[in-house]
Amino acid sequence: MTAIDEARALLASALGVSPGDIAEDTRIGTIEAWDSLGHMRLLLEIETALGHELDPDDAMGIESLEDVARLLAGRAA
Amino acid sequence: MRLNMPKLIRLSTERFVIRTLKPGDASERWIGWAADPDVMEPVNTKPAKMTLKELQNYIGSFDQSRRVLVGVFDKRNDLHIGFYAINRSEKQRTATFNVIIGDKDYWGEKVVLETRAALLDHFFDKEGVEKAIGMPLARNFPAVFNYKAQGWRLEGVLRGHCRSAKGGKRLDQCQFGLLREEWRQMRKAGRAT
Repeated sequence: MTAIDEARALLASALGVSPGDIAEDTRIGTIEAWDSLGHMRLLLEIETALGHELDPDDAMGIESLEDVARLLAGRAA
Repeated sequence: MRLNMPKLIRLSTERFVIRTLKPGDASERWIGWAADPDVMEPVNTKPAKMTLKELQNYIGSFDQSRRVLVGVFDKRNDLHIGFYAINRSEKQRTATFNVIIGDKDYWGEKVVLETRAALLDHFFDKEGVEKAIGMPLARNFPAVFNYKAQGWRLEGVLRGHCRSAKGGKRLDQCQFGLLREEWRQMRKAGRAT
């Protein structure tokens, strides 16, 4: 599974939608389900996937599917 | 902009009424929020069992000029669901926003985006405020989301800026800012929520 696929699955799970609903350019404001609680679930799920708390700068930078994928890819490097 | 006279605020949005709170608005519901860790810990406040009198005194401590306390009420049933405490600086023409939505049934319902937009319009257009400030804890992810989604700019992450009310651990805090002209431009472009 690529980082973008993993990010899509994770974002879909956090927002309670199907992975098919998450487009490549999904970001805050482009999908109704990405609300404050969805955002919290997303960040907590990312932390679970990474196995540690997010650095504040990383947490602040998460605004899109691409941002999530970048963080997950960084873990694998 | 002279901040020596209390002003009553009453604003209406699509779903909510925002109005100045008075000691008579103290309620068992609100006391329940103050004692709920899920509600209070994200704002770094130790949950506490208040008496009705203590809550009334807290509400009465706001001068409604420099320190403004307004409640958020559901229009459908007049249910009180949360509140804003807003600290103003006359000299700097700033307003620092703090918000708690105590009724968990309303979490994830974009209450803050809708109500804070009305408050920003009010303070920028009617009260001479030139900059709005928000300082959520970095790990208050829903609050951080709301600032970002509303177009506020992250001005910095203040490392270990405050001490946890829960156990003394030092916590990172964000500073978000929004200038009056930025908000007006967003409104004009139809991007403001």
